[in-house]
Amino acid sequence: MDSILSLKHLRKHFESQKAVDDISLEIERGQIFGLLGPNGAGKTTLIRMITGIFYPDQGEIFFEGKKFDPLIDVAKIGYMPEERGLYKKMKVGEQVLYLAQLKGLHKQEAKRKIENWFGRFGMESWWDKKVEDLSKGMGQKLQFVTTVLHDPSLIILDEPFSGLDPVNSNLIKDEIFRLAQGGSTIIFSTHRMEQVEEICNHIALVNKGQKILDSTVQEVKQQYKKHQYLITGRGLDKLAMEQAPFTPVSQKDNSLLIQIAAQPNSSTVLRFLLDQQVEITAFQEQLPSLNDIFIQSVGNTPTARTFEKN
Amino acid sequence: MKKIWIIIEREYLTRVRKKTFVISTLLFPLLYIALIGGMGFIAEKSKETLTVAVIDYSGYFTKEAIAAENNVDPSSTLVLATNLPQENNKEDNGYDGYIAIPSLNWQQGNDSLILSTYKSYGSAATGVVESKLNRIWRRVLNDSLQLDVSKQAILVQSKIGLISRNISDQQANSATAEGIGYFAGFLVYFILLIYGSQVMMGVMEEKTNRIAEVIVSSVRPFQMMLGKILGIGAVALTQFLIWIIFVFVVYNVGVKSGTSMGFMAEAVGGIQRMMGSVNVPLILGCFAFYFLGGFFFYASLYGAIGSAVNEDMREAQSLSFPVTMLVILSIAVMTAAVANPTGPVAVWGSIIPFSSPIVMMARIPYGVPGTVPVWQLGLSMALLIAGFLTTVWFAGKIYRTGILMYGKKITWKEMIRWAFAKG
Repeated sequence: MDSILSLKHLRKHFESQKAVDDISLEIERGQIFGLLGPNGAGKTTLIRMITGIFYPDQGEIFFEGKKFDPLIDVAKIGYMPEERGLYKKMKVGEQVLYLAQLKGLHKQEAKRKIENWFGRFGMESWWDKKVEDLSKGMGQKLQFVTTVLHDPSLIILDEPFSGLDPVNSNLIKDEIFRLAQGGSTIIFSTHRMEQVEEICNHIALVNKGQKILDSTVQEVKQQYKKHQYLITGRGLDKLAMEQAPFTPVSQKDNSLLIQIAAQPNSSTVLRFLLDQQVEITAFQEQLPSLNDIFIQSVGNTPTARTFEKN
Repeated sequence: MKKIWIIIEREYLTRVRKKTFVISTLLFPLLYIALIGGMGFIAEKSKETLTVAVIDYSGYFTKEAIAAENNVDPSSTLVLATNLPQENNKEDNGYDGYIAIPSLNWQQGNDSLILSTYKSYGSAATGVVESKLNRIWRRVLNDSLQLDVSKQAILVQSKIGLISRNISDQQANSATAEGIGYFAGFLVYFILLIYGSQVMMGVMEEKTNRIAEVIVSSVRPFQMMLGKILGIGAVALTQFLIWIIFVFVVYNVGVKSGTSMGFMAEAVGGIQRMMGSVNVPLILGCFAFYFLGGFFFYASLYGAIGSAVNEDMREAQSLSFPVTMLVILSIAVMTAAVANPTGPVAVWGSIIPFSSPIVMMARIPYGVPGTVPVWQLGLSMALLIAGFLTTVWFAGKIYRTGILMYGKKITWKEMIRWAFAKG
């Protein structure tokens, strides 16, 4: 397993709370990794340790196989924080050039890359505009460009789609896929579960400073599945339910939602249906959505933990 | 350290290219000269002239003698009156006050005559009246002693004078030194306040624009802070160079045209005399050192405050109040130091880092090593360097915590706790 980032027993305690309390994670190269959790779960603190903004109280971070050194490794990380902005009075071109140079790019190289990205996003005419004259969505696009401009091997995006219209959301989403295919690893932090389901292949769920879930999206769904199947077909209303190897949950027109025990597998159910002369048009397992899983896992914890007591 | 350069470059260029930089560079010298000139002008204008009734019972203060004096110096007038004024205010009798001169013995005179006035007047105004009476009295004595003009001249001119001279420093000239001391001290004061608050505003801008987190994920907060302070310091230095070049050009033009214009020749001569009496390179060198050292010291404190506050300007003002008080306190110490440059207040004020940039600049024109021993200058410089390294370091730690903290009102107590926090 080629992991680009590995966190070992990270801890960061603030005065009033344990923001990150013993979290270990392995993130593989090329993965799109979803870092999920309710507000105040410790996601931002975790990310700030990965980006070298905070030092962990305990634990170690390994980046590309070596011990993480913020002074050197930040050049290979692109971070788009949730609280993001740009210098309002600065011109767009100079601004991006400045941020790229801070990441260690040379001026000429940075210029070439900016032109490339601006061309791709249709932003060529923005160079001499001031940031304060851009709309919120334009600002977000610009922010995305500044995050990925230096070809980071690890890209961390915190709520990257907030403030974007569907067209621009798709544009950014396609770029995320393209970057991942190009070998970049992406950590994606959000509350919007439908986006996670669409984009991520691996997720970790954090709550109260601890990791409560860590696997691929498919595995998580399998883990949380309730063994429910949706059957669509003709003749479902004439079924002899007494002998059925399942319990019906709900029936509507020509579809039936059933609950089976873990033991009799789906083939038994299908055989029974065929024996009963049902003309099946669809037979599908109902997997829980990430949204359901999220709510089920963290829903019973009090959402607002005291963040800053004073 | 390349990143610090990039930060310095941005901080410097964005400020120098602004219109406000050009305007303030042009306006500040004018305002500064207007302020100093204006103070002198007001002092001159507010000098009062009095009209005083003289009731003479001695017979020496004749109408002719008084008229002669009023002709020589018309600023305050004496009027010979026969009776004490009956009314007790100027509106009714036309006098600001009166002097009753009793019959006098010319050998003894009278050193306790009383000028009765209806209001209080400063010594500048009453001094004129006194010297007029004295000059009249001098003529009375000349006549009574039958002194001829040559003897009078001997009396006036022959005297023993005393000038204090600091033998360990031949260049010290206290009047010039006082002037330069005030000028330099106030200049440092303005720089600390103006550019210090620029650093604070710059940090606040980063915080309110929400760019801080993006930047601290690329550079260390300490680098960010140092880059900003150095960049803004360079802006201040640029402004200074422009002013010095400006003064140099005006001075040289003055020297060239000096022969044809009277007042210019006078001014140029004055400057040449003044420059001859002080160690110009030493003063300029020390000025650069104390201006930069003091700026680093205070700018980092202002920067730390900027990182701790939110958008609210009032919050920033109330947090920066103690720091601003330190700067203003330094000016108070400086005033004492200029009057007595070797007193304990001056010595300690010029050694302790938070007042040394202003106070030492007021002492140095009096001469090194005459007034300021070399060990004091060395200790003061070393402490200032140690002082600003400490404040920059502490400020970096406060900055690191504060810059990512939103929506919470921060107190000094909390900032100090951040500064001592581990990690």
